[in-house]
Amino acid sequence: MSVEEKVRGYILDNFLFTDDQSELSSEDSFMEKGIIDSSGILEVIFFLGEEFKVQVEDDEMVPENLDSVNNLVAFVEKKTK
Amino acid sequence: MSETVVHFLKNSVSRYPCSEAVIYNDQRVSYLQLWNMICSVADYLHTKGLERGDRVGLLVENSPEYIAAYYGVLAAGGVAVGLNTSAKAADLTNWLRHCGARYLFSSLKHPELDDIAKTCSDDMSIVGIGEPGKQAVSAFDLWHEILNNKATEPRLAEITDVVMPAAIIYTSGTTGSPKGVTLSHSNLASNTQSIIEYLGLTHKDSIVSVLPFYYSFGNSIMHTHLAVGGKLVLESNFMYPHKTLEKMVDEKVTGFSGVPSTYALLLGRTKLKEYDFSKLRYMAQAGGAMPPASIKRFLEEVPEVDFYVMYGQTEGTARLSYLPPEKLINKIGSIGKAIPGVTLEIRDENDKLCRPGVTGEICAKGDSVMIGYWNAPDATGKVIKDGWLRTGDLAHYDEDGYLYIDGRDSDMIKTGAHRISPKEIEEVIARLVEVEEVAVVGVPDELLGQVIKATIVPTIEGALEKKSVQAHCRKNLAIYKVPKIIEFTNDLPRTASGKVKRFLLQDNN
Repeated sequence: MSVEEKVRGYILDNFLFTDDQSELSSEDSFMEKGIIDSSGILEVIFFLGEEFKVQVEDDEMVPENLDSVNNLVAFVEKKTK
Repeated sequence: MSETVVHFLKNSVSRYPCSEAVIYNDQRVSYLQLWNMICSVADYLHTKGLERGDRVGLLVENSPEYIAAYYGVLAAGGVAVGLNTSAKAADLTNWLRHCGARYLFSSLKHPELDDIAKTCSDDMSIVGIGEPGKQAVSAFDLWHEILNNKATEPRLAEITDVVMPAAIIYTSGTTGSPKGVTLSHSNLASNTQSIIEYLGLTHKDSIVSVLPFYYSFGNSIMHTHLAVGGKLVLESNFMYPHKTLEKMVDEKVTGFSGVPSTYALLLGRTKLKEYDFSKLRYMAQAGGAMPPASIKRFLEEVPEVDFYVMYGQTEGTARLSYLPPEKLINKIGSIGKAIPGVTLEIRDENDKLCRPGVTGEICAKGDSVMIGYWNAPDATGKVIKDGWLRTGDLAHYDEDGYLYIDGRDSDMIKTGAHRISPKEIEEVIARLVEVEEVAVVGVPDELLGQVIKATIVPTIEGALEKKSVQAHCRKNLAIYKVPKIIEFTNDLPRTASGKVKRFLLQDNN
């Protein structure tokens, strides 16, 4: 399974509670679409550590890294290079 | 008191017309610009036939538009009803109908606006704010057109009846009996002045505001800063605390307010010591108990900043007590003493005053106590008796008269900045045909204070999955009301009289 598939699956499963892929576009901003709130973002950070062994430093906790599936995938790929 | 928060703001406009009042993304709005927007809104509402006391819904995120609409409604003699922007259409239409709103100012991009317009537009004029989305905007009046019209100054003399309702804040969305806390002009003005007094706010103060204005805490931040001619820097959320801290430094703000989860995030996910807080004068916390260990840690991280612990509830406008920073170490864990203009007493179940050290219910009297719940005399009668607000919070005094919260005599769940009635969630889950019974409680959580747990008795064992219950809640409730924990059981624990023993469900293991 690719990083994108894993990330999409996690967001759909844990925040949208569905398997329907059409419910989430990879560009959707979690903030703007109300998909994730401030406690949810901590769950996402925990998931990145568990699934990809990626540690999110405090100054990396920014929308550019975490606010969409695409941003998360790019961030994971950058950190695991 | 004969002045209202509109008079306070008008005073700031007169004294500091060119000073910045609100900063939001790349907008920097001066007091004069804000006042012109307010006049346009008031003028529009008069033109549309608003009568004194008419309710006006506001479905807008924190923004200059929200502030201008809120104060415009008050200046026109209306009652501002700030609506929770994360709520779903069912709750929003329920609230709008419950208060009989004749007007609604809404962000055009709000995802529930279409559904609201379909069910309410016959009785309600809608003003659309921002860029049009997919809505048929021809049915709406548009914000930018209202602002383009030349406005006359509202006659503030018409709203000097300070006991008249000024605002309604809905605290629960149950379909049968929504609770709309109704605040008078006097409530808002008095609470605003008390907060200004104890925080020592002046026109030199500024704050990064991360709390929504539709809640009483955010509402008080808005009123206090505009009343003194200070500056509001608006952040739409607190998902990225690092960004908020950068904004605080960049804008050289003097204050910051949050709930315990705000401070838990700051302590857990940022390096506070590395920021230049030389301009920051104070930080304030309300909205639930913050663990004393977290307060101590906070003081170690930013010793130069005064830290205010505060207590209140929406029914008390916002604030009822505060602990001065100089007492924080000696009285750690205390919520302090009553704010100016409020009297607090601790009473036992027989309504007798409690002695120091004895736990009872906090009762409040004074200008900050709400008029009542909108159109709900029975619910009002249960919490206001002989002019005293029964807060439902249990506490005791120490020998010096400082208050300490011991618990809450209520089923309400406090999670993050939100206060939620379990009934709202139970009603939604009970709509699933596979559910025979359901009970919802808050269980302790280190970050959020409490998280929501639903215990469900299914009609047939194995008929339901956790995810399908959460998906159903997600569709019908605001995101923060979706239970994190779902458990299935054969029976709910009950008392002999059949009442669910909720405390037994609060075990998270």
